[in-house]
Amino acid sequence: MTFLERQLEDPVRFKRMKRWFYAGLAALALGEVAAPFLWYPEHGHFSFEDFPAWGSLYGLVSCVVIIVVSKLLGKLWLIRRETYYDS
Amino acid sequence: MTPEWAHPGLFLILGAWLLPWLKGRTKRLAMVVLPASALVGCILMEPGTHGVVRFLGQELVFGRVDRLSLVFSYVFSFLTLLGMVYSLHVDDDAQHVAALTYAGGALGVTFAGDFLSLFVFWELMALSAALLVWLRREPGAVAAGFRYLLVHVFGGLCLLGGIVLYWSQTGSLTFGDMSPYAGSAAFTLILLAFLLNAAVPPLGAWLPDAYPEATATGAVFLTAFTTKSAVYALIRGFAGTEILVWWGAGMAVYGVVYAVLENDARRLLAYHIISQVGYMVCGVGIGTTLALNGAAAHAFAHILYKALLFMGAGAVLQVTGLRKLSDMGGLYKTMPRTLALYMVGAFAISAVPLFSGFVSKSMIVSSAAESHRGVIFLLLTLASSGTFLHTGLKLPYYMFFGKDPGVGDTGLPPQRAGMRVGDPGLRGHEPPANMLVAMSVAAAACILIGSVPAVLYGQLPYPVEYAPYTTRHVVATLGLLAFTAVGFFLMLRHLDPEPIVSLDTDWFYRRGLAAALAVVDRGLARLEGFVGQTYEIVMQGPLLGAASQLREIDARVIDATADGVGRLTQSLSRSLSTAVSGHAQHYGLIMAAGVLAAIALAVFGW
Repeated sequence: MTFLERQLEDPVRFKRMKRWFYAGLAALALGEVAAPFLWYPEHGHFSFEDFPAWGSLYGLVSCVVIIVVSKLLGKLWLIRRETYYDS
Repeated sequence: MTPEWAHPGLFLILGAWLLPWLKGRTKRLAMVVLPASALVGCILMEPGTHGVVRFLGQELVFGRVDRLSLVFSYVFSFLTLLGMVYSLHVDDDAQHVAALTYAGGALGVTFAGDFLSLFVFWELMALSAALLVWLRREPGAVAAGFRYLLVHVFGGLCLLGGIVLYWSQTGSLTFGDMSPYAGSAAFTLILLAFLLNAAVPPLGAWLPDAYPEATATGAVFLTAFTTKSAVYALIRGFAGTEILVWWGAGMAVYGVVYAVLENDARRLLAYHIISQVGYMVCGVGIGTTLALNGAAAHAFAHILYKALLFMGAGAVLQVTGLRKLSDMGGLYKTMPRTLALYMVGAFAISAVPLFSGFVSKSMIVSSAAESHRGVIFLLLTLASSGTFLHTGLKLPYYMFFGKDPGVGDTGLPPQRAGMRVGDPGLRGHEPPANMLVAMSVAAAACILIGSVPAVLYGQLPYPVEYAPYTTRHVVATLGLLAFTAVGFFLMLRHLDPEPIVSLDTDWFYRRGLAAALAVVDRGLARLEGFVGQTYEIVMQGPLLGAASQLREIDARVIDATADGVGRLTQSLSRSLSTAVSGHAQHYGLIMAAGVLAAIALAVFGW
């Protein structure tokens, strides 16, 4: 069994990995909020970049927007059965 | 061509024809030595103008060597080397010759200083790329290859038309900055041809149509040359063209939107080529030195990581024969090395710090910020999130890890990953060693560029003052990526790949044209019937009447006339026959009478 298999297939280790993932997320978001006070006093190019945890928020929003918009586009317009071009 | 300057592209194009004559180890050696010497040739090349040929009163420049062409030539020839190593196990000379010709064409475009030689290499690339698609030798691939060629012949004609107009306007064929001619037909046609090759929507549907149909190894070459040589040509000719800013940013988002719907692994990656080239096109449009450096740097980094991603998907295709995400799963157990190398490419394209995309993509995004284009900045950042969503999360998740319709919570299905009976994951194994070697070198290059950006920055066309590793940039990027992952796991149940195709602009020539032809066809049939009816009613009656009239006239007048003339001739000849007796004395008498008559006329007449 490889390392990866052990991590994924043992429920205990998998749960542990998930916890580390959540902890990392929290640390990142908090770090991003705190960073301007700790490391860089200068402002970003745009005012929205100075919003607390801008990167994390925008990442989450982008991801959701992309999925929702393209799924909608697909459902309403773009999707065809796989043999569409064969007939 | 000067003897001290050898064109690395021509070297590849001609050298390719050695391969069919070689066998076994010698052939494999030649497959490595050819691109390696082209790479060395590019590295040793001195800036300047080489290979000037006079043709039809024009100067053709085969070797315009400057910092811009050099940086592209390095990555083109390096990728050729990687691609050839990746295809060492393939026993198909036609593919190798086509691939090397294609690479040679790309180098030819890169060094071309005039439009005519550019055009020749441009067309050579189109043809050899179509060959790489055809050589998969399956009906779908043959059809896709023809569609590829159709689109690129159209692009080539636009380019040729633009070149002829440009020539007639300026009297020169020099390929340089086109901005003085902005708005002219020549400018527009040449720009269109370049944008078509850069796969800019709506002209770009040929890319996700053709690349997934190519051979596993051929696709690696395809990802590198056509779009990136077009980016090179855009940087050279159209830097600072405002429309490209918006078009490029739209293209970056378009690619990730389509990637959500995609089920074919290599087609998903193909849409991400469009997305990534969108950053470069946008950078060309912004046109500042930072943006142009960014476009060149991103092209360089992109060629390497995209080839690596296609190598990974190609390895899975080669080993399992599977191309659709909905059929895959659980491959991480049997192909862990492929997975690890693929993930390096995925991190590089997603611009994870310490990987190549981070130092190249951010130059373009920062140049958008520095030129105060807020919306462009937001669009490009959004596309970054989408890139990680697909290449970094969705594709590896469905390809290498388990999938189970019943699992909808955040995370992987713990016990079920790759465990189902008949799961293709159980059948996989690592690809041949040469494939892994090529992938490892590409992965090493991605990490090297990302960790020591000076390696790349030192080769860019303009001096670089940009510093990618600021705390703000690193923290914001990590936040963006990590929370994209959160979004992915939250919406996982909506992302399961479905066996579908999504419409793109290739619809117009795949179905639209057929529909149009049907309409035209039906219309034509109706028109033909109408013309036939009209003919019968309007023409036939009068015509028949006229014909019988004519026959009457013929019988009465013409025949009677002919009879009359006949009879007249007959009576005349009868009376003549009395005069022509056959006796010499009669003839003598007539002659004497004639002479007398002539004398009488002479004497009395005057």
